[in-house]
Amino acid sequence: MPNDLMLQSAIKNFSNCLSSEFAEDFLQVLLGLMAVVFILDHDFRKNIERFSGRYQFKSKDGHITVAALFKDNRLEVREEEIPDPDVTIFFKDGKALMGYLLTPKPDILGSMLRQEVSLDGNLNYLYKFAFMAKRLQLMVTESF
Amino acid sequence: MGTLALTDIRLADQNLDTLPLLESLRQTCFSAKAEVCIERARHITTFLRDRANPDEPMEIRYARAVNHFLANKLPLFFDDSLLAGTTTSKPFGAPVYPELTGLTIWPELDTMSTREKNPQFISREDADELNFNVFPYWMERNILEATRAREGNPACMKLFERIVFFIASKAGTISHTVPCYTTALERGLEWLIAEAARHEQMLAARESRPSEASEQLNFFRAIQIALKGVVAYASCLSAKAAALAKQETNSVRKKNLEIMSSVCARVPAKPARNFREAINGLWILQIAIHAESINMAISPGRLDQILFPWYKRDSANGKLTVKEAMELVGCLWLKLNDNTNLVPETGEELFGGAGTVPAVTVGGINEDGEDAVNDLTYIMLRVTELLKTRDPSLNARYHLEKNSTRYRDRVAEVVAATKSVPAFYNDIAAIKTLENQGIATRDARDYAIIGCVELSAAGRSYDASSSIMLNLVSALELALYNGKRPITGDEQIGPVTGAAESFRSFEEFWEAFTTQLRWLVDEAVKLNEMMGKTHQEYLPTPLLSALFEGPMEKGKDLIFGGACYNSSGATHIGFADTVDSLNAIEQGVFLDRKCTFAQLLAAMARNFEGDAALHAYLVNRTPKYGSEEPIAIKNSRNLLRFLYETYQEYTNYRGGKYRPAYWTMTNHAGQGKLSGPLPNGRKAYRIFASGITPVSQAATDLAACLNAVGGIDALHIPGGEAFNLKYSVIKDRDDLHKFSQAIEAYFRTGGLHIQFNIMSYETLIDAKAHPENYPELLVRVSGYSAYFKDLNEAMKDEIITRTAYDLKTGKSVLFPQQHKGMLPHE
Repeated sequence: MPNDLMLQSAIKNFSNCLSSEFAEDFLQVLLGLMAVVFILDHDFRKNIERFSGRYQFKSKDGHITVAALFKDNRLEVREEEIPDPDVTIFFKDGKALMGYLLTPKPDILGSMLRQEVSLDGNLNYLYKFAFMAKRLQLMVTESF
Repeated sequence: MGTLALTDIRLADQNLDTLPLLESLRQTCFSAKAEVCIERARHITTFLRDRANPDEPMEIRYARAVNHFLANKLPLFFDDSLLAGTTTSKPFGAPVYPELTGLTIWPELDTMSTREKNPQFISREDADELNFNVFPYWMERNILEATRAREGNPACMKLFERIVFFIASKAGTISHTVPCYTTALERGLEWLIAEAARHEQMLAARESRPSEASEQLNFFRAIQIALKGVVAYASCLSAKAAALAKQETNSVRKKNLEIMSSVCARVPAKPARNFREAINGLWILQIAIHAESINMAISPGRLDQILFPWYKRDSANGKLTVKEAMELVGCLWLKLNDNTNLVPETGEELFGGAGTVPAVTVGGINEDGEDAVNDLTYIMLRVTELLKTRDPSLNARYHLEKNSTRYRDRVAEVVAATKSVPAFYNDIAAIKTLENQGIATRDARDYAIIGCVELSAAGRSYDASSSIMLNLVSALELALYNGKRPITGDEQIGPVTGAAESFRSFEEFWEAFTTQLRWLVDEAVKLNEMMGKTHQEYLPTPLLSALFEGPMEKGKDLIFGGACYNSSGATHIGFADTVDSLNAIEQGVFLDRKCTFAQLLAAMARNFEGDAALHAYLVNRTPKYGSEEPIAIKNSRNLLRFLYETYQEYTNYRGGKYRPAYWTMTNHAGQGKLSGPLPNGRKAYRIFASGITPVSQAATDLAACLNAVGGIDALHIPGGEAFNLKYSVIKDRDDLHKFSQAIEAYFRTGGLHIQFNIMSYETLIDAKAHPENYPELLVRVSGYSAYFKDLNEAMKDEIITRTAYDLKTGKSVLFPQQHKGMLPHE
């Protein structure tokens, strides 16, 4: 698929996911879009130049185990458990994760009370990831 | 007697009409919007990353970074202030400290400028610089992550990161201290630099050196390097002021710039010769400390004492009028408002509205035990009364045997006028409390307030007074649920202490509760010690150390225990709710046998839905802290004693004791929002009471409340307490007299601290509904002041629902029934 079609497709999936009530595939869609934009957008790729980071995402019900590996200016996504992640993010479901990372007014108290998201490891890696996700969201929003 | 030459201590002829400069600067201050300042983060990061010699010890490297920043810090003049120097590169700046918690704003760099609550503006260019150049360097190096890496992600750190048990503040700050500015102002930084060099040379020349000589030599060198940065910044200010003066066509401004140029050419490098030099020198030192330590509660201390010699001399020589002194003090007050904390949105939601809390202390007695109130005390009170700004947090000491009632009444009058400041401190209780901590009498008498309410032997004691914030309700819940908490689900958090239903007496429950509490304290202390070690490794403080008594003599940085005295502060959230819950359990389950423990827990699980009779009993019939009921008094004092004895068993990484305290900033609102129903009838997710204040609406009789809180043994609260009292209104002289006398009575029972909001339920409810009508409404939170409009919703509710008393009847005022849904038990 040509690059711009790949991008359009990824953006469409992401937008659909953002407006979906369940957002079950949020993580996969987000990482998919990220990977494409890293390839196509030089400015966005600057975020991972010389950056090495190992992220583990796990749903609390055990159904989703995804690793995001940033290395050599690329993002590699694997559906598996990885050794020695820099940070592990446990989340209740895709919607909870989306709310945690992207909502304009995060409901942190609600999220804690509902025990929707918890973390283990270096929080700065999560902050960086959340920044990239948020900027991507803004790029997508602005592109429409 | 203090030195008094003023004919009118109220200074009634001075107001904002006669002080137009202050009025103008005040308007600017109130209209300023917060902007993120990356200047320090950029300089410190690029220096440490690109220029520092990694082979040099951190003490030297960090001093060089501080020097580099100060020498390159932009000399900025935003307005017509009489004082030169700015904390940040913005008129109202939120500086970024990436080595602490600065990276928490990373996810919000693109959105924090436009967020709904207290936005902090950052340009795209600055956001990109943080994102690409600054933050990546600190990913493994900030205090939290460096500690995690060294300690292997310990359990106590994971507990902290749940947020609902305790907060380990060292991840974000030590600061919280009162430096000694006197020496630097009297002798100048050049003298201090020479003194450090002399110590260095003497040590280097010694044939047999102590084992720690190498560290000592580095420390003396670091002081010189860091202080030279301060001198360089003052020189830049001087040069810039001179350049601006040349271009200025307005004669008043031109003259002011010329004077500032001359002042900064002199101080703080050389001894201050007059009041203006002293006050500007002090301000530059205050700025400089923030090059090294985060802007959280760096408290200037007893300014009416520190600055008085220059004031007295200039006044006597006819070189300074009261009006001129007020202008300079007013400029300092407004300068102390030129910065704010960097706060991520989560912080706003949980803990929003807090300022930087540079506490200023006035009044009280001097080191010889005599009345220290002087003209400057009254000038500072009048300036505070006129400006009504959030900072500085003004604290008035009162010694009921040495200070005059005229002084006490004047402070009370200022509280009535501002509706909230200053806070009152009882000198007799505070001095005794500090002496009990091993502080020499003369040093204890010279105490000043840190940040919110913490006591400190100013310039001699490094107290890290905000090291731990521990949620007492979490220990209560762990005891109720056998080591688990509803918010953390089925996970076994604390020790197994038995199911609540199995306790056959209150004593057995108390044992379980204190077991959980001791465990929690131990976890919090453990993490504080780990983070203290990380501060020692990464963030030495040679500049701050130079402004203390002790480090130069010992050849030791403050962070390694260089001060004359050392301590760590541990404050507690949910005190009154915990005590009332203990009371309810003792009375309801074990004495009245109104319900079994199982029935109580079942009712709580239903949030008391369908349990109206039991709920009404718990709310109305069980003893309340803030009353004189024996069970309430016993449980409150037992809890305070237990915590005091538990903490004092620990010795911190600097060789000092842990000091328990009871002030909560806004954490009681946030933590309350995260906690389930409690045995005292408080419903789920309702705010807790603040500081050491009784639960809202629980203590209906003013005299009993003052006796109950005042009767607490202050020796058990060495870290300080925040007792918030609200009066609906002070209408007339009679009310004012009663108000002032009630303070006296409270102090005579032994009360340590008291602070007020003078406002009715109706006013506050209206201010919540129509914030646009109350842009300057200043309220006392739990140790500091805030603009009501800036507080989060939970915190607003807490202040609204605090018991308001009628001064004439001494009884609580009925809470508006149409709003009773806001109350904790509704």
